[in-house]
Amino acid sequence: MKKLYSNKLVITSLVLPGILLFVFAILAPICLSVYYSFTDYSGMGALNFIGIENYKTLMKDETFFIALRNSLFLAIGFICIQHPLAIIVAAVLDKLSGKGEGFFRCVYFIPNVISVAVIAYLWKFIYNPDFGLLNNILKVFGVTEKINWFSTDRAIWSVLIVLIWHGFGWGMLIYYSGIKNIDPVLYEAAAIDGATQIQTFIRITLPLMKPVIQVNVTMAVISALKQMETVYLLTNGGPGNATQFTATYLYQQAFKAFKYGYGNAISVIFIIICLIATVVLNKIFEERRPKKEVR
Amino acid sequence: MEKKKISAGKVALWILLICVAVIQIFPLVWLLDFSLASSTEMFTSGLLIIPEKIQWGNYVKAFVDGNFLHYLSNSVLINGLAVIMVILVSIMAAFACRRMQWKLSGLVKTLLLMGMMIPIHATLLPNYKIYSMLGLTDTIWALLIPYIAFSLPQGLFLMTSFMESVPVELEEAAVMDGCGIYRIVFQIITPLLKSSIATVSIMTFLNNWNEFMMASTYLSSPKWKTLPFSVLEFTGQYSSNYAVQFAVMALTAAPAVIVYIALNKYITKGVAMGAVKG
Repeated sequence: MKKLYSNKLVITSLVLPGILLFVFAILAPICLSVYYSFTDYSGMGALNFIGIENYKTLMKDETFFIALRNSLFLAIGFICIQHPLAIIVAAVLDKLSGKGEGFFRCVYFIPNVISVAVIAYLWKFIYNPDFGLLNNILKVFGVTEKINWFSTDRAIWSVLIVLIWHGFGWGMLIYYSGIKNIDPVLYEAAAIDGATQIQTFIRITLPLMKPVIQVNVTMAVISALKQMETVYLLTNGGPGNATQFTATYLYQQAFKAFKYGYGNAISVIFIIICLIATVVLNKIFEERRPKKEVR
Repeated sequence: MEKKKISAGKVALWILLICVAVIQIFPLVWLLDFSLASSTEMFTSGLLIIPEKIQWGNYVKAFVDGNFLHYLSNSVLINGLAVIMVILVSIMAAFACRRMQWKLSGLVKTLLLMGMMIPIHATLLPNYKIYSMLGLTDTIWALLIPYIAFSLPQGLFLMTSFMESVPVELEEAAVMDGCGIYRIVFQIITPLLKSSIATVSIMTFLNNWNEFMMASTYLSSPKWKTLPFSVLEFTGQYSSNYAVQFAVMALTAAPAVIVYIALNKYITKGVAMGAVKG
């Protein structure tokens, strides 16, 4: 058995496809990105090595920091608006314990399976100042002004709303399955002690959901950092750079501004930021877990 | 008295759930409604309209001029292949890293899982360069390779954690009977992983079905373009005919929504399982 299970040739044949894919689609591109980030390559023609010039420019690039600030804004928006709502709805749904449960769960998740391309174009129409749904709804409440939802100060909120709407079902579903895993005996005990529904939610559901919340918060921050598709189609970073994100910015720099080398420098920093964010968030949450057990 | 209070609370809960449901679904109802109207009817002040005559022609235009069937079959083919490959490669790698005895197993597993942390969009620029150097742009490989590679870490992660629940005794018995490793992996382990294969398939499908950023970067001709492009390319063609644009959006969204509603139970379970483990 042992001999069979440590046959080098067999092992190699089993892991090779995975390793090749990783090297070809992830590792090699990253190395190439690092290489180009030290050049002034425009996308065609000759290239010159310019050392860390691109990185120096990047550290002074205002747009890059606007992109990071926008990611932070999204992350806070997700954590403060989407997730509390998702937890509450999940808890309420759990209380239903009947026919409506499956129906609501299904309805909430539907936007999630629809292509970002459709979602972005649909919301462009919803935000349309002339015949858009949103202004029509406001008209019902007596607001006749034609509001431009993509003005410089409103655009980022408009993006946030679309993303919250689109991702709501996913977050809700994860909280929902977390709540389903809670032992019902705890609720029964609370009910015997005379706790109200709200007390039960705050004292029992929320603390037991802590690990799920932590995973979801990590995911929210990472997805805010990685945001590209929706913004690309909805505003493409505009107006000005009001809704610029790291990924849309590097794309524009490489393919629109023909600064391919610079775009790659942004890619490299982008990867490093994502890695750091993942590691740091995991570390923060890891340290808390044992402490809770001590208590 | 006590009973009345509870029912009042119940009503409030129902109202909350219904409100959220309306918010989630109303934009889609609006989309369907206007896709059946004529463009001139759109500039009304009401929220929904009853079209004077239902314009099925919008859908015909969307279906024909949006190249719907072509893009749909591309999407099905590419996603199907990606799912099969992700499952195969992740089962093989999971078995090698989890069960086989070799020094580097931990390192290789960590390395492959690292892919989960890498932002896909950071590889857009260099991959574009690599594919054009190798002549892969505008071929099916330009989509398949990244789709498989970026779904693999998640697949591997789920497979390794599910594989732990498969008893080792089963393999020992198989070895006694003279089974080779490949037969153990594909004939004994794989059938036992059914539920995790379903989960990985669903996650991979959801990840890749709606992807268009890589597709629009690596592909230039419509030959291998996927379903999102029936919307992206159509809007330019019919830029002033809004109703037809609505029809093409509804049509593009339809396959995923229909499949989701039909398989709702399994998909919900799959996503929940994948998310909890991940």
